[in-house]
Amino acid sequence: MEDNLVLTETGQNCLQMLLKVWLDFDLAITKVPIVRRLEQGRLSIEDYQNLLVNMRQQVIEGSRWISRCASSFDRNYSDVRASIIKHAYEEHKDYMLLEADYAATGGDLRVIESRSKNIGSEALHGFLMYRASQSNPVDLIGAMWIIEGLGNKMSMKWSKLINEQLNFTSKATTFMEYHGENDDNHMQELYQLVDRLATSDENVADIIRTAKVVAKLYQLQLEEVDNDN
Amino acid sequence: MNVYINSTGHFLPGKAVSNDEIEGVLGLIYGKKSRLKNKILKSNGIVQRHYAINNQQKTEISNSEMAANSGVSCIEKSFIPMSKIQMLSCATSQGDVVLPGFGSMVQAALNLSQVELHTSHGICSSSIMALKAAYTNIKCDGVDNALVIASELTSRLFKSSRYEQVESNEVDFNAEFLRWMLSDGSGALLLENKPRAGGKSLKIDWIKSFSSADVYPVCMSVGTAKNEVNNKTWQDYETYADAEKAGALLLRQDVRLLDNIVSVGVNGFLKLISQGYINTNKIDHVLCHFSSKHFKSKIFDMLETAGASIPEHKWYTNLYERGNTGCASIFIMLDEFINTHDLKAGETIFCMVPESGRFNCAYMHLTVAG
Repeated sequence: MEDNLVLTETGQNCLQMLLKVWLDFDLAITKVPIVRRLEQGRLSIEDYQNLLVNMRQQVIEGSRWISRCASSFDRNYSDVRASIIKHAYEEHKDYMLLEADYAATGGDLRVIESRSKNIGSEALHGFLMYRASQSNPVDLIGAMWIIEGLGNKMSMKWSKLINEQLNFTSKATTFMEYHGENDDNHMQELYQLVDRLATSDENVADIIRTAKVVAKLYQLQLEEVDNDN
Repeated sequence: MNVYINSTGHFLPGKAVSNDEIEGVLGLIYGKKSRLKNKILKSNGIVQRHYAINNQQKTEISNSEMAANSGVSCIEKSFIPMSKIQMLSCATSQGDVVLPGFGSMVQAALNLSQVELHTSHGICSSSIMALKAAYTNIKCDGVDNALVIASELTSRLFKSSRYEQVESNEVDFNAEFLRWMLSDGSGALLLENKPRAGGKSLKIDWIKSFSSADVYPVCMSVGTAKNEVNNKTWQDYETYADAEKAGALLLRQDVRLLDNIVSVGVNGFLKLISQGYINTNKIDHVLCHFSSKHFKSKIFDMLETAGASIPEHKWYTNLYERGNTGCASIFIMLDEFINTHDLKAGETIFCMVPESGRFNCAYMHLTVAG
């Protein structure tokens, strides 16, 4: 760990709890049927396409809540706003990678573009937009933590497993892998945000609460991949 | 009622076997040296271990006899005679016989009369399960004392002849992996409901464990063939010989799943912190049964950043010199730790036993009694 990452006491406390929420989420999604098939080598090409179709609707909306989150921070948090705008800018075209992957699997772009959000994505997006619309939404650090963690899991684990069990003529896991490339930077930025915002017990409680809600709704989104809706 | 560990003992069979001598004991598979051996030994860091089988792969001492030997060494250092033992609680991954329970065989070997008996079956964490059964029995005033013994004789599974019975003629990585990890030995603890002045008494503050078998597939097992998809297990074959030919009797580790043990272990650790069982600043010694020195990961970095890690100088292990003896490891470690450290009243010891079998992790907190 680098020296500049030494966190404040409440920051460390918050990070400990966030880690716990992440590990619980990690266990919970391991039981979700599509994740189970992916991690146990029983994923079909249709499964992967379906996963991309379902994730795309969340990812394309993802840039909206992050942008709104940034704009909801007032002058006292201008440094936080700057950091989140940067984050939003870096990720606001992620969905294009995802669509390219879908095409590389042989999927019809019209399908991925026209599909509506699944029930879990609907709930997740609704919750994130609601929280992002509040003034100084400090708690959304918790949401970023879960989503960043999942990005890391996708790049470190899922993309490898998918390539092991499916054959593609051209690269079809760029979206999942992309998250690994900037991972260390993102983690450092996130640590800094935790340090900056987890400054009171109340803030920590809000951050943890939102991390838990986002984890649960993300789990729902993954569960809904197997359902037609 | 408080419960104290008032004596410990261990038994390791034969002389220590160095890395160069392993294949001389376990035998060369099809007469060839393993290409995997050095790589795995380098990563687990073990430099010597003990085996209950000799150079001809004949068993020199049974698992229950090893268990009894460690029990005797434990009681000989204690304040009570063997005849006063009220409960015997034993653990092993595999007894000498399939039935009856391992505890019955150990009791007979120790010639103990009229004890309450318990056997826990599992892999590495089964020793803590046996310990917990004894601990709770004393805690609720069921008995005044209990002898807890964990013992392993895995080398019998690693004889070269075992691998040569498999029909496909190939040794898969997952079946060979543990051949370079596990070895034999036994450890014992005496629990009593009062501390012993003049001796070393460790109060058991709590024992907890969290199992994640509902989440993950089997990671370490005996009983199924490689890549078995129909849930066919060894007894489902027409004959036991067929099961052996199919490779269903080899000890396997699905190494791809192994990483999950880190998050399972850390998750339980964080849960215990949040429930107030652990204060990392107040832990003086850590005894963790880990199978390999290379188990650091991103999560450990995060624990460090989150101020939840425990400094390296507080960690103790004798894995590298005594070998990985499965469920017996933690007792063998405790025994040597207590005998080589000048423990002061109030010092705390945190023990952790992760089991990769199907992902169980057990934890224990001890305080040196004054």
